[in-house]
Amino acid sequence: MGVLAWITLLPLAGAVLTMLVPREEEAIHRGIGLGTAIITFLASLFILSDFDASKAGFQLEVDKVWVESLGIHFHLGIDGISLWLVLLTTFLMPVTLLAPQAIGTRNVRVRDFVVAMLVLEAGMIGAFLALDMFVFYVFWELMLIPMYFIIGIWGGERRLYASIKFVIYTLVGSLLMLVAILYLYAQYHAATGAFSFDYVSLVRLSLPFEPQLLCFLAFALAFAIKVPLFPLHTWLPDAHVEAPTGGSVILAGVLLKFGTYGFLRFALPMFPLATEAMAPTIAVLAVIGIVFGALMAYVQDDAKKLVAYSSVSHMGLVVLGIFTLTQIGMQGAIFQMLAHGISTGGLFLGVGLLYDRRHTRNLADFGGLWKRIPVFSACFLVIVLASVGLPGLCGFVGEFLVLLGTFGAHNEWIRSGLAGGFLPLPRILTIVSASSVILSAMYLLTMMQRIFFGPLDKPENRDPHVRDIHGRERWVFGIIIVAALATGIYPQPILSRSEKSVSGLLSLFQARLKDAKANPEATPHIYPANP
Amino acid sequence: MNFDSSQIFAYLPMLIVIGMGCVVLLAETFATAASRSGLAWLGVGGCIAASVALGLQWGDAAQATTHFQGMLIVDRMSLYLDATFLVAALLTLLFAPPYLREQGFEFGEFYAMVLFGTGGMMMVAHAAGFVTLLIGIETMSLAAYVLTGSWRRNLRSSEGAMKYFLIGAFATGFLVYGMALVYGTTGGALSYTAIAAKVPEASKTPVFLFGEYFILIALFFKVAAVPFHMWAPDAYEGAPTPVTGFMAAGVKAAAFGGILRILETAFGNPLLVFDFTGWANIVVVLAAATMLLGNLAALRQENVKRLLAYSSIGHAGYILVGVAAMGLGSASAKPAVLFYLLSYTFTTLGSFGVIAWIGNRQDERLFVDDWAGLGASRPAVALAMTVFLLSLGGVPPTGGFFAKFFLFKAALESPQLYWLVVLGVLTSVVSVFYYLRIVVAMYFREPLRPLAPTDAAATRAALVITAFAVLLLGIFPGPFVDLAGPFVGK
Repeated sequence: MGVLAWITLLPLAGAVLTMLVPREEEAIHRGIGLGTAIITFLASLFILSDFDASKAGFQLEVDKVWVESLGIHFHLGIDGISLWLVLLTTFLMPVTLLAPQAIGTRNVRVRDFVVAMLVLEAGMIGAFLALDMFVFYVFWELMLIPMYFIIGIWGGERRLYASIKFVIYTLVGSLLMLVAILYLYAQYHAATGAFSFDYVSLVRLSLPFEPQLLCFLAFALAFAIKVPLFPLHTWLPDAHVEAPTGGSVILAGVLLKFGTYGFLRFALPMFPLATEAMAPTIAVLAVIGIVFGALMAYVQDDAKKLVAYSSVSHMGLVVLGIFTLTQIGMQGAIFQMLAHGISTGGLFLGVGLLYDRRHTRNLADFGGLWKRIPVFSACFLVIVLASVGLPGLCGFVGEFLVLLGTFGAHNEWIRSGLAGGFLPLPRILTIVSASSVILSAMYLLTMMQRIFFGPLDKPENRDPHVRDIHGRERWVFGIIIVAALATGIYPQPILSRSEKSVSGLLSLFQARLKDAKANPEATPHIYPANP
Repeated sequence: MNFDSSQIFAYLPMLIVIGMGCVVLLAETFATAASRSGLAWLGVGGCIAASVALGLQWGDAAQATTHFQGMLIVDRMSLYLDATFLVAALLTLLFAPPYLREQGFEFGEFYAMVLFGTGGMMMVAHAAGFVTLLIGIETMSLAAYVLTGSWRRNLRSSEGAMKYFLIGAFATGFLVYGMALVYGTTGGALSYTAIAAKVPEASKTPVFLFGEYFILIALFFKVAAVPFHMWAPDAYEGAPTPVTGFMAAGVKAAAFGGILRILETAFGNPLLVFDFTGWANIVVVLAAATMLLGNLAALRQENVKRLLAYSSIGHAGYILVGVAAMGLGSASAKPAVLFYLLSYTFTTLGSFGVIAWIGNRQDERLFVDDWAGLGASRPAVALAMTVFLLSLGGVPPTGGFFAKFFLFKAALESPQLYWLVVLGVLTSVVSVFYYLRIVVAMYFREPLRPLAPTDAAATRAALVITAFAVLLLGIFPGPFVDLAGPFVGK
């Protein structure tokens, strides 16, 4: 078994082990959970050392027959696009489990929490690595159940509503995606006579425009709900606010990335004609989301809701980067995913810590906390600045590249004849979305100010319970800050490892597009395998 | 009339089950209150023996053989269904005794009826002619009526049995009438192959079509397809809980077996499948209506048994999608339906097993609210129930997911069914919503009153087996798919 299979199955093994320990031994459960997550992270570092940045295709593949008669294989592989997302997952999970506030205020049933988090981790890693559409779908859904329980059991007041909304939204999208997957499977079978769910095979299938558009919409709905793209974002503030801190961190840090990852991995190469047709629309929706999310964040009084809406805004930027269909924009999108995972994960951890100290998230209840808890305040400021996009921190690189890519898309789109009728579009989008830099500074710094600055006039804030970070919390925030700084100051290792895969994806996309336009009447057929 | 004793041995599993039913009935005469539960174990032994006999036959059944003037057939499909019925019977015999003892109506006849009903189902699965189909359906149904009403002191049980019996008798009327019409118009054909041979000529007369559809209507009654579903919620709710599981899974599987066989052989001619009067269209419409009504009506139910009754109607709709796909020429539709029935049997029996477990004599705890807090007080049972509910909703990694996946995959082989599949997945989302209501109660709410379940070692063992099987069918479905039959592309 390759390293990819190991890191997928390790968390599951940890979950089983945790279940075997009696319910009362909470310390052991936490220990096993944290230990498993750390071991998984260390194992995932092997991927990094084995990864060959000069290759565009999939590496370290694992391929085992699962259901032979249906052509289902347990096929995993990694490339420059999924590499960093997997590492983000394995990185955030131990950090989250290390944080004492991860479980939230309902500090009950620790064992079940650890099991849910570990199953969730396995689902996330598996879905990023899956190269078989069936396997991808199974892992995709496998993430849903633990997250549902995490919100529903350890969540806040309105957790029932939030958890069911989360599930129903996600399921509507993903089940239609399943139909599209089955359709592709049937078309592939009709064209070749072979049964296969393999991504590498199905991606070679060329469909006429109409079925492409329908399949694209089915996939895009699932992904757009996950991102979430405006106007499908309404589940997110509910889910985030009700979820316990650990749930919010993983939800914002990793789960949302499945939407944008799905666009890159599946929607673009499989449905080039539909992507071209829909790219301007999705880009516009993304920009609306950027501005709308930012404005919504600005008017929130609940710190957690503010961070949740900031996710809508920042993830809009990722979608915009992808649908510029340019090298720079897409690489920027991948980097922004990573940066958002680190900074928003940090923000949620910070808000969770504040809630732990003060039992409120209402910004009006805070004020002047810097005097009381200076170390935490400084940490939080760094994370906030990373999220705002201050140069030298992780948020800047992604944001800058996406905006650069969007601006450059103008020439790209003229050259490739994209979005024919309305060419100023990329430039307008750049200008509008650049406002997000200012807007995010506005809402995040306002939050910063209302919590940490001003007079320390509320008696509750002087309560001895409001302690500065100590013990394991130091580690949690220290690690997050180091990650934000390291990726911000020296982004090259990340960009260079995703470069080949993105350019490979883009040239594949353009070649397919050209070919499909040259023969618009072609029946479904199979492209030759890539060299 | 030639009679060959080897013909008898081809039906050994059925004979064992029925024979064991007779033994249980006789032994009941000598049983005391204490030894009565031993009768259930006799039945379990019978099921195991029948399974062994079935396993021995499997190799020979690769080639279908008919016996008794083409009235009965042994092939892989019938044996796969037999195995499904045996699973249903076995689990019912494990779940029922503690429940019956607790509610105070443990009679040996109950176990005998389960076995007779199973024998009837097997007859339906093997039926290749009208006479055997009728005998099978009646044996199965009579046993089901009796079982439904076996809780004599309970008004709901009697009401359910009465409704079930009256509507069932009505359906039988349709069946016999339809058979008579087909028999007349085909010049006295009784076996499916003989009918199929006469179809090109007979189908010119509308009377034949009436006969065909009368037979189908009767079978649709048995699977509770909309609009022939009216009896199901009352019968399912009224029946003693282990019986509900047995009916919802076993009877349905048998009726679908009968539908598959008759549509494939007797009415498989393209003349009867396509066009305006063809059954494919009608099955498609029924499937859509059944999925919609079953799942939407389940949304509003507070009683868990009734909720699962409506959900079971919804599942009949999904299986009908597979039947339609078979008619439209999808090669993997039949294996998909068979796999679905197997997975559904495990899941349904398991979930009704939990419902039987949770109540006691004073308090049946049939309402969703009664399940509050189960996740904290009994994590293992709650986990098993969650697995069953997720499987019913079609969420991986459970058997129910793979079954739906396989079925929809088969349906997508014919472009006419695309919209039906989309409807199917959307109703699945609806179904997840109401299944999750039970999960919500179990995990997200505090208990209202203390729990006093009907605990027994047999129940616990059966729940473990069932939950394990549901996960096995979801994670390693390969062997079960292969056993359901080979399929090659169009």
